[in-house]
Amino acid sequence: MSFASIYKVLFKRNSIFVGTVFVGAFLFQTEFDSAITKWYENRNKGKLWKDVKATIGSANNGAEDDDE
Amino acid sequence: MLSNLIRSPTTVRTLAKPVAITTAKLSTTQLINKSTYRTPNFDDVLKEDRNMDKSRVFSYFMVGSMGLLSSAGAKSTVETFLSSMSASADVLAMAKVEVSLANIPVGKNVVVKWQGKPVFIRHRTAHEIQEANEVDMSSLKDPQTDADRVQNPEWLIMLGICTHLGCVPIGESGDFGGWFCPCHGSHYDISGRIRKGPAPLNLEIPQYEFSEDKVIVG
Repeated sequence: MSFASIYKVLFKRNSIFVGTVFVGAFLFQTEFDSAITKWYENRNKGKLWKDVKATIGSANNGAEDDDE
Repeated sequence: MLSNLIRSPTTVRTLAKPVAITTAKLSTTQLINKSTYRTPNFDDVLKEDRNMDKSRVFSYFMVGSMGLLSSAGAKSTVETFLSSMSASADVLAMAKVEVSLANIPVGKNVVVKWQGKPVFIRHRTAHEIQEANEVDMSSLKDPQTDADRVQNPEWLIMLGICTHLGCVPIGESGDFGGWFCPCHGSHYDISGRIRKGPAPLNLEIPQYEFSEDKVIVG
């Protein structure tokens, strides 16, 4: 795809340009969100509740019966 | 002389007459001609077959990326403001629940959720009201007359949480025709009073009020 055809397809009509930008913003937001979450959870591995919960669960197996 | 100056400042007059500014503005070409800077020769870094399409696409791409980032930022800003307007947890904790009593037939239970807890509403029959009033106070673990527990004897409204360990009792069961807690076998009568089993207290009565054919719990 040459640069001229990119220009013709995406940028020539302003409506398509702006539309692409807005759709891209929506996609970007979800992507960005999941990427940041992934990074954060990777960085804090072992400190998160889901990790801690697993270790607690294995420590007292089946000893919890809080619903009586 | 110093004291003289201080005493009479009026002596410092405008001695200099306004001088006409005579410096004429130079035009750009004149400036360039006058310039002593040496302009380097860029010819060897300028490309012969410069692709105008490429630079144009690049510029538009950068403009579009800027728009994309700022619109994403604007969107999340608006979302933050809108979410701040929705009811917060402390408001929801004060929530009341309104139940229309017209739809509840005589002798039926209805369970509604109020502040995360189940609330039992029973439309009692005349026989059940009579039964609740006939109970001997001395036989009760937590003595309370039926009149103390209801505003309108037709409607029994109470929290559906067993006073023993917080299970939700089952309606229309148990030895006393009321509620039965399956966890440790507490039996409640038709007024929600504890009759048998480990629970120490009667089922709790929440604050409620009637308005027309509705009840507002909370």
